[in-house]
Amino acid sequence: MTRKLLINVVAGLALAFAASLPAQESGAPDADAQSRDQFRQLDQDVQSLKKEVLDLNRDLFLLEEELLFPANSQVAFFVSMDVGEYFKLDSVSLKIDGKEVANYLYTDREAGSLLRGGVHRVHMANLKTGDHELVAIFTGQGPQSREYRRGATLNFSKGIGAKYVELEITDRVKKQQPEFVIKEWE
Amino acid sequence: MVTARAIVARCCLALAFLAPAAPALAGKDGPAPIVVQEPHYGEILYYFYQEDYFPAIVRVLAAQEQGQLATHAAEAELLKGGLYLSYGHHLEAADIFERLLADNVNPEIRDRTWFFLAKIWRQRGYLDKAQRALDNIGEDLPEDVEREAKMLQAQLLIDGGDYDRAIAMLQDWKGRTEWSRYAQFNLGVALVRSGRVDEAKKILEELGGIDPWNEELTSLRDKANLALGYALLQSGQPHAAKMPLQRVRLEGPFSNKALLGVGWADAELDSYQRALVPWMELRGRDLLDPAVQESMLAIPYALAKLDSISQAADHYVNAVEAFYEESGRIDRTISHIESGRFFDEFLSEDPLDSTGWYWRMQSLPEGPEARYLFHLLATHEFQEGLKNYRDLNYLWSNLDRWQQSVDVYANMLETRRLAFAERLPRVQETLARADIDGMVQRKLEYDALLNDIEQSGDWLALATEREFELWGEITSFEKTPALAADIPEAGEVRDKIRMLKGVLQWGLEKDFQERLWRIRRDLRETGEALVETQRARRQVDDSMNRQPDMFLAFDQRVYGLEPRIETLKMRVGDAMAEQRAFLQSIAVGELQAQQRRLDTYTVQARFALAAIYDRAATVTEAAVK
Repeated sequence: MTRKLLINVVAGLALAFAASLPAQESGAPDADAQSRDQFRQLDQDVQSLKKEVLDLNRDLFLLEEELLFPANSQVAFFVSMDVGEYFKLDSVSLKIDGKEVANYLYTDREAGSLLRGGVHRVHMANLKTGDHELVAIFTGQGPQSREYRRGATLNFSKGIGAKYVELEITDRVKKQQPEFVIKEWE
Repeated sequence: MVTARAIVARCCLALAFLAPAAPALAGKDGPAPIVVQEPHYGEILYYFYQEDYFPAIVRVLAAQEQGQLATHAAEAELLKGGLYLSYGHHLEAADIFERLLADNVNPEIRDRTWFFLAKIWRQRGYLDKAQRALDNIGEDLPEDVEREAKMLQAQLLIDGGDYDRAIAMLQDWKGRTEWSRYAQFNLGVALVRSGRVDEAKKILEELGGIDPWNEELTSLRDKANLALGYALLQSGQPHAAKMPLQRVRLEGPFSNKALLGVGWADAELDSYQRALVPWMELRGRDLLDPAVQESMLAIPYALAKLDSISQAADHYVNAVEAFYEESGRIDRTISHIESGRFFDEFLSEDPLDSTGWYWRMQSLPEGPEARYLFHLLATHEFQEGLKNYRDLNYLWSNLDRWQQSVDVYANMLETRRLAFAERLPRVQETLARADIDGMVQRKLEYDALLNDIEQSGDWLALATEREFELWGEITSFEKTPALAADIPEAGEVRDKIRMLKGVLQWGLEKDFQERLWRIRRDLRETGEALVETQRARRQVDDSMNRQPDMFLAFDQRVYGLEPRIETLKMRVGDAMAEQRAFLQSIAVGELQAQQRRLDTYTVQARFALAAIYDRAATVTEAAVK
């Protein structure tokens, strides 16, 4: 065994390593070129598959909706929040014409998404044309972290074509209380 | 929704990839808020904010297909680009950005977008695309991002072997932030790679003496000292090499190599006793590290130099045994990885609750493989490969779920078709019984009759049944023969009858107009109901006629989607196998390199041992003689 041989083995490793970049490592150009090409080819295949699967998901999503909720009878119920200073949403339950149809419990992540402007489609239903009554019960934490449970009602008429109903939670700054409003999405 | 939300989507947030990297953008200086005006747009944001990029993209595509994002068309397209990028679908994202970023977009957002695309592309090895993206950046990046973009440019030049331009760029670096230190280091790298080692040494010397203020800079300093120390060792300057090597922290990612180097510097200076100090320190450390492996040979080498032959022989024997055991463990690990179970285990340990470009594997699954592959995690290729593998696995599960759903939809369609076929004759029979045309005819006859009654003022025609009976009774009384007698009693009855008749007629005439109006109203309502019935009937007829076509259209969609799912599932499965093979080849290649190094060390140890035995035999032989 020679001293030089040993030094060279580790020195080579040390220098190769030291030659890497601080934030993002970069291998030796020649050694990595083939591997990079292979990775790139695979990555392009994955990209192409992603596109095809997404397009297929779009078609399936539309098929599912049209099959399960035809436009003529479709009613979609959305939950939204505006500000949310005075209310932390835990759950929403819905009754249509006296019958409970949905009971949704929100995770922190979902409630956070609502607070940032997301709108949640909480329920889809098929309803006959004519008059209907919707009752929504919101539960959560109100001002001073007190348990809060409030209801809101909307009488609406279902005509021909899809209908969208919004269950909106807003802040009433003057009263420092949350407000729950149901309205037809205009 | 027309009311303005206080919490609304911001245009810049549409560029999903900017959110974690540039939270300041969401602050008061960000672009003007956008009011969510369509529920479907809000729904996309709902998934986007939860970082569920795949369902968010599906909803954008579906909503766009159905024209449900008309008022958010521009934001939705930009959001889609951001979602694609966050999901790691960078080629599709770039297509969108290339279309949208040309105009109508805040210049800072445009520049940031190109910067992040460049960053992703470099990580994924698309160096040409990364360069084009950097070329698109204008002058609107914030200062910190601009520095990072400049560094990225230098890295791309180094990647492409254009060291001179990289050196020129890095030498010109201004400012005293930590980026300037990175620039200094990369300058050293570029100088080393272009063969200008002496210049590199100066740079590394300066960097090795900095007073770091955070962990990253401390690590950078260690790295610079290590590189400098070994460069000096290689150029035969062991004394000078010791100082930078001793500046490396005793505990850190570079400490083992530094300790080994310090030992070699002493050995070069013939101070074997001193060399043993750092090498002995290495003995208790992880044998996976090449520096530790090499120290196992360096120690007996020094002992032999110090004439501790017997101790040296013992250490060589120990080293050979340790290398043999380690090599065996690596063999077993390679077999396990090649069996394909390793990557499935790591998928099962890391549920696919999220996918996308931001995901990073923080730790490998537990097991003997983890310790060998730990540092692979630091490489872009392995991380990006793992991301793709995860994404493919997600796609496969997604397709598998849809495959089951489509089966259900096919059954549902069949059930509906059967129910339709069963009900159709009954409905047709009922409809045939309902003589709507006859009803319309009768309504028209009533209209005509009412007109006659009105024109003739036939108040009796509008009498109720009871009134009509009364009228009949009264008129029949009038015709009673006895009443014709000329006697006072008969006259009195006639008067009464006349009075009754008059009262009845007066009432009927009085109510005539009102009754006429009420009957006309009822007839009009009946007419409207008949029109509605005719319309409904047409709808029913139309629906009955169209239903078979609708079933056929749904059939075609359902049965057309089934093979698409199946084909894609197979292709995703194949791609997973290829991706796994690629990751396996990286991992196995890494392990084989470790094994080769161990083999080299084993051979060296055996030779050294043989030399020692030889020397001992010669000495004994000489003594006997």
